[in-house]
Amino acid sequence: MQYETIIYEEENGVGVITLNRPQKMNAVNDRMLEELDDILRVKETDIDIKAMVIKGAGPCFSAGQDLSGEGNSEVMPPDSKAGLSTKDLLDAGTRWNRRLEYIFNYLKPTVAQVHGHCLGLGCYLAMACDITIAAEDAVFGDPSLRMGLLTGIPLWTWFIGTKKTKELLYLGRYIDAKEAEDICLINTVVPSGELNQEVKKYAEALTLSPGDGMVVAKESLNAQMEARGVGAAWRFLTQSQTINWMQQSQIPADEFNFWEIRDKKGLKEAIEERDSTIEKLFPKP
Amino acid sequence: MTTFREVTKWKTQYQKRQWEATPYEDREFQSALYEKDGPVARITLNRPEKRNALNDAMFSDLMAGLHKANDDNNVKVVIIRGAGPNFSAGHDLSSPIGEESPPVHPSLAPNVRDFYNIERRRCSKHEDIFNFPKPTIAQVHGYCIGAGLEIQAACDFTIASEDAQFGLRGFGVAPTGLYGHNAGPWPSGSQRQWAGKILPELSGKDMEMTGAINKAVPLDKLEQETNRWAEALAAQSSEALAVTKEFINGMLDITGYGAMWRTHYEGHVMIQWVRFRRDEVSFYKSKKDRGLKGFLQERAMHATPKKKEGSE
Repeated sequence: MQYETIIYEEENGVGVITLNRPQKMNAVNDRMLEELDDILRVKETDIDIKAMVIKGAGPCFSAGQDLSGEGNSEVMPPDSKAGLSTKDLLDAGTRWNRRLEYIFNYLKPTVAQVHGHCLGLGCYLAMACDITIAAEDAVFGDPSLRMGLLTGIPLWTWFIGTKKTKELLYLGRYIDAKEAEDICLINTVVPSGELNQEVKKYAEALTLSPGDGMVVAKESLNAQMEARGVGAAWRFLTQSQTINWMQQSQIPADEFNFWEIRDKKGLKEAIEERDSTIEKLFPKP
Repeated sequence: MTTFREVTKWKTQYQKRQWEATPYEDREFQSALYEKDGPVARITLNRPEKRNALNDAMFSDLMAGLHKANDDNNVKVVIIRGAGPNFSAGHDLSSPIGEESPPVHPSLAPNVRDFYNIERRRCSKHEDIFNFPKPTIAQVHGYCIGAGLEIQAACDFTIASEDAQFGLRGFGVAPTGLYGHNAGPWPSGSQRQWAGKILPELSGKDMEMTGAINKAVPLDKLEQETNRWAEALAAQSSEALAVTKEFINGMLDITGYGAMWRTHYEGHVMIQWVRFRRDEVSFYKSKKDRGLKGFLQERAMHATPKKKEGSE
């Protein structure tokens, strides 16, 4: 497969996937999903690659799903006006969750190298990786609710606890890398100039262990997470998402409607309105 | 001898959440006040002369307030707070025999089924707050003890004054763990939060540090800060927020939250038969012998570490 939206490189047993739509803040569209699916599948069986790094080209890791409305039918919820069957919605939700669950359970250690915006699906990707290293300038958050959408990953409560989960999801608050480290959303934060070097160090350390031993370690750790309910959580999210998507067709008239503003005034305006209400109260870091 | 069945007016409600079962129409809110300010409903625990100790009347007004806020489509956020010196000092231990809020009085000789029913009702009030379908914020200042602690833990958010005092004292001398039934850090991996869980008492500032509450601010900024959070919540998509809350709480259920509520009230049932050693303080014995204030003094005395021989 010819990659247009990602770059894949290898060095000393480490595979590096770079999300590569820098002019769109590495927003994930259907094409990028397809390419990610492909490279992960192809490389999972390559025993010479002992760790996988995901990072972003240009200004940031990823600003999240591509919200433009073009080439994003898989990465965004099904169109609420299309009159899809419940089965179609459940299928879409299942694919969404299997994709992230697959990365979470990927049979190699994974590292997310985060700088700049890491929002929505960008944040989910970073959470699904085993280790997240961020630069000081990184910003984490999930603005889904402001667009009337449910979050797209169930791991929040396991990582950061009840009250903090509700804080990030209900408010759609953005937090800086230091706070993300404090609440255990990520592993560590380093000065921006040192991010590349630090991730290289982590990745190299991961390649030093026997590859098969690493797989056993990851499997058993993830089995512990399943024992704590994460397995059921993916399915639960699929169902909640389906309810959420069915409800999209009846957004109350007096409430902020992201999609209506996007169609009337354009994406930029819609995102600005989405963020400004919350940022007035909780300024962006 | 009077029995539990004759005295109590409570009947177990399995089919409804307790706020649903508490009517608000024609109610004069007294022990807890209800007011509406745009999209925000405020429920104010209102027995300041008793430090908002929770008795049946206060729980009833609180539940009715939640019921009213639920039914009002314009209400998008509920704030629970306390009038006077503090949020709440916990269950009212001076409540008359037969009230549900304090522990069942042993003289009523309830059987195990009575115990299960009463403890299920007592504890499911907190569970019902936890599952209330609109976002809730606890605005905490001063003491936040026992049942007060449980109420704030069951709210989605807690904003506290830095000098607020969170604690759980139990009916004997033994602290039973700071977060009570509702493990604030559940099921986070943060060791800081687990460490905080076993401490008997923490300030608002320390609670913020452990992650058990969302934010601590100076007392004079508390109301303003709480309103800021309420405003942000009111701006959200209310329907999607309801789904999100149901989803997050579902995640917690998967990890055993449902069983946690159950073990909590089972613990309450078990605690009825705890035998106190002679050097320990029993609530009922001490209250009978010395009165409520005497019990509180005795408990405080026993909870203070004694000086070792020969030390200053």
